Amino acid sequence: MYLQMLLPRIYFRLEKMQRCRDLESESVEKATSLIKIPITLEIPIGPQHPAIHEPVLLKVYADGEEVIGVDIGTGYNHRGVEKLLENNTFYKDKFISSRICGICNTVHENCFVRAVEYISGIEPSARAKYLRVLVMELERIHSHMLINAIMAEIIGFDTLFMYIMRDRELVMKAKEIVSGGRVLAEFHMFGGVRRDIDDVKKEKILDILKKLEPRLKYYRRLFEEDPTIAKRLMEIGILKPRDVVSHGMLGPILRGSGVKSDVRAEDKYDVYGEIPFNVIVRGEGDSLARMLVRWDEALESLEMCRYILEHLPSGSAVVDERKLPRVFPAGESFARVEAPRGELTYYIQHVGGNKPYRVKVRTPSFNNIINSGFSYLRHSIADVPVILVSYDPCISCMERAIVVDLKNGTEKKVTLRDIAMGKVRLG
Amino acid sequence: MSIIREVIRNLLSKPITIEYPRKPIPVEKDLRGRHYADLKKCTGCSLCAIECPSNCISMEKLPENIKLKHNPRGLYPNINYMSCVFCYRCVAVCPVYAYITTNEYRLSSVKEVYSKDLTLQTIG
Amino acid sequence: MQGVSKIKEVEDILADYIVKKDVVKPNRPVFYIDANNIRDVIALLKQRLGDEAIYISNIVGVDKVSDGVIEVNYFIHLIPFSNTIVIKTSIPRDNPKIPSIIDLLPGAYSGECETYDLLGVEFMGNKYLRRSFFVPTDVTSKNIFPLRKDAKV
Repeated sequence: MYLQMLLPRIYFRLEKMQRCRDLESESVEKATSLIKIPITLEIPIGPQHPAIHEPVLLKVYADGEEVIGVDIGTGYNHRGVEKLLENNTFYKDKFISSRICGICNTVHENCFVRAVEYISGIEPSARAKYLRVLVMELERIHSHMLINAIMAEIIGFDTLFMYIMRDRELVMKAKEIVSGGRVLAEFHMFGGVRRDIDDVKKEKILDILKKLEPRLKYYRRLFEEDPTIAKRLMEIGILKPRDVVSHGMLGPILRGSGVKSDVRAEDKYDVYGEIPFNVIVRGEGDSLARMLVRWDEALESLEMCRYILEHLPSGSAVVDERKLPRVFPAGESFARVEAPRGELTYYIQHVGGNKPYRVKVRTPSFNNIINSGFSYLRHSIADVPVILVSYDPCISCMERAIVVDLKNGTEKKVTLRDIAMGKVRLG
Repeated sequence: MSIIREVIRNLLSKPITIEYPRKPIPVEKDLRGRHYADLKKCTGCSLCAIECPSNCISMEKLPENIKLKHNPRGLYPNINYMSCVFCYRCVAVCPVYAYITTNEYRLSSVKEVYSKDLTLQTIG
Repeated sequence: MQGVSKIKEVEDILADYIVKKDVVKPNRPVFYIDANNIRDVIALLKQRLGDEAIYISNIVGVDKVSDGVIEVNYFIHLIPFSNTIVIKTSIPRDNPKIPSIIDLLPGAYSGECETYDLLGVEFMGNKYLRRSFFVPTDVTSKNIFPLRKDAKV
């Protein structure tokens, strides 16, 4: 019975092939021009893709399974932040700059506040500096846990993704105890911080850190020894130190390839000169080395948080916002800070008045992602998302204008004209 | 064999996430939640409306029958909670400490919510 | 002590090209040089300090309408000295052209493309410049450079 159903189909297929061949031989004799089709296939790993979490376009040119060329296209989320920062006063700018990125908002605030403090000469107290470093190190732990969870999700290890996210809730609770908000900690102000901690809160945070430490050590051991992770991540995306430095890549990418460079140890801003810590460097240069550098840094940050809580100096840390000056003097300054993704810089040039003249923000993802087109060559297509995630892309940091209401999650597309004229209400 | 034991154990235990409407989520006392102005202290100086980063505070006139000695202009702030980002700049910059802060975080709604009702209740 | 002698070393390397010296807070030395010498300066730094020692940290363009120039600042980080130096150049506002350094230091690709797209400074020798790198297409079709002070976007 099945044969009777199949046979007509086979005949039909054979007839069609014969007809095609006849047509072909006819057309080949009459052909006057030939169309050449290139053998490479252009695959857009495009703005919407299940493997990347934010919109960026990687046009991958592939020959079979091997990648031959990559073009990076950006501009899907451009927000016009630098023009916006020139039209508002310094105090409103501090709140705008912390909303450039959701994960690294504390380091953006810290860099802006320090750049303005260098211009105007305000000096924060010692206790305020210790509290600022505490919040920044807590944020570094939870950002590193997030990117490792995303790496586990992309290679298919969903269970590990869920476990890491469950333990990350402990860190967000600690941040809520210190600063009053789980994700956006509006903690910095020119001259100090906005809240203080007392003994009850200190005991709660030390408790949380004690629960967190064995989990971090377990995850780090898992990344070193698990055979699934080792097969997908070892020997992928190897970068030599000479290429990394001349292309301008930053952060854990530099330190995973053997170059020892860390802004916290070089500039010694706030109190990093007094807290003992190690700069972590690994020599291999592949994706697994970059992930292990991040886990080691998370463990170092935990030790630093403990040291800070035990050695807090006394004094007052809170700044009275009613007495701060309205107008700042002229000058220019350049502040650098070590974000979890690399080196973040703010350059402010001011000629007097209460609105800045030029502010330039350069986030680490700007250098890391746009200059990285050379490193995907000669790998297979399945390795491209693994390499991209090991560079830690934070695309909303990189372009700065879709206005998203953080409370409701609705999106409003605004033109740059409305932003520049101050017609858009933030938030 | 140990896989079957794991499967049975996970089928019969409760999920790890907090079942939200039935159990409360533990929050801190000083979480930045819903805030409103206290008419017994507000002097109507409008500093909070000038300094708000998202421009969501508008100043309204007091109703006809209420006259306050410390509020010569007769204005009070009205916060639009749909635009507010809860940065608490208004709380920090008020010269007479006239804002009451709570840790109320359950604020989602489908219509616009203002702080007018809560503020007018403070003087009965 | 050590910091001062290291800065002196950099000054000696660049002694032929420096026009003026200044400081950007906090304590970052600034060297003003002529716009046409930028390629020689970078090649000299690379030759003396080695290939693994410098990276471009930032390229900033500042539009100064009152002076009639556009200032282009290069922030270069030196790893063995643990310090960042600033090299400042000025180019005239109605003809903004400056030689590109992308073949010496490929890390300048992102900075140069962004400065071209937002301010209109043309880097001669860089064949990857294009208009819609960051700015959305409804602004570029009107031929406006958004960050100039007289651009009403």
